[in-house]
Amino acid sequence: MKTVIPTIETKRLILRGPEAEDYPDFKATFSSYRSRFMGGPLNTYEAWMLYAAEMGHWQIRGFGMWMIHDKVTDETYGMAGGWKPAGWPEREIAWIIWPDKAGKGYALEATSAARRYFYETLGWDGAVSYIDPKNLDSIRLAERLGAKKDNEAATIDGSDAVYRHPSPEALKGSQLAHGIEMEISHYADPLFKPKGWAID
Amino acid sequence: MCASALTLETERLILRRPAPRDKDSIVAFYMSERSQYTGGNQPLFGAWKMAAMMYGQWEINGFGLWAVTMKGDDSILGLVGPFYPDGWPETEFGWLMFDGSEGKGIAFEAAQAALKDARERLGWREIVHYINPENARSVALAERLGAVYDPEAPQPFEDRPALIYRQPKSEVAA
Repeated sequence: MKTVIPTIETKRLILRGPEAEDYPDFKATFSSYRSRFMGGPLNTYEAWMLYAAEMGHWQIRGFGMWMIHDKVTDETYGMAGGWKPAGWPEREIAWIIWPDKAGKGYALEATSAARRYFYETLGWDGAVSYIDPKNLDSIRLAERLGAKKDNEAATIDGSDAVYRHPSPEALKGSQLAHGIEMEISHYADPLFKPKGWAID
Repeated sequence: MCASALTLETERLILRRPAPRDKDSIVAFYMSERSQYTGGNQPLFGAWKMAAMMYGQWEINGFGLWAVTMKGDDSILGLVGPFYPDGWPETEFGWLMFDGSEGKGIAFEAAQAALKDARERLGWREIVHYINPENARSVALAERLGAVYDPEAPQPFEDRPALIYRQPKSEVAA
């Protein structure tokens, strides 16, 4: 049976499965220096093969990477979701934002929605992110998502650091979860004022 | 697009779209020396990506290599069919036969049906086969399928030239 890829809506974004028409945006980023921490830069053939593999991943695993679209304009901003090709020790939560779309909180908004889907709908009991130690932007995002470096965990090939996401129980109703929501709200509306404050 | 319901039938074979259940066979092929001439003989990660790609190419292009099966047995014996990734100079038609499936005329029988489909349904006029110069058995199959060596054809990878065989131009399809 073919996996029907679910659609997720957030404040500003809509996450849909990768579609053929989004390939040029994917190729632009994966053939650029931006993709250096994601196995790139790739040549044209490699980029196309990887995009096809992104689609196949959904069918083989029943989950995968979503394409991040603007809810209003449908423009793409990057990808976020789950990734577990052969050789991955654990299920990974991954993301990449197109270079000219960074700094607007899209990765945080998309990734935290993807994680909620994996935890609440697919019943995952946890996840990790494999990050190149030089990829400071992604490490910062992993930390904002509450992931902590796990020096004991198996890596993919010894050159990546493992960041372990909080479990569904640790996340549910936590100050961290509340903080992520507030941060996303602030990105969506810079004049956003939270009602009340989290108590430390 | 309802490409998943599409199948081709020959005397002995059913050709269908690759499915997730084919993954283990495709991974085993790409990890074996059998695939050395077709981008394979890879570690597990690369082989898995190829299996995922075999499915995904249909999503992007609406066509791709067909999973070849015997009538009455759905297990995959190989992949045969049109291949047109981004950057390819021309429309290619390829074949990959898994261990134990060679020498029975399966590739030839599947290729004839899939070539006909590429011409008639996809409207392909120029069809080439990119073959590793060491791969004598694929050269033999290309010739048996009526293709002719074309030393002038543009290469998919300039640094690793392939032997390029070209099918005779098809008559205009209906």
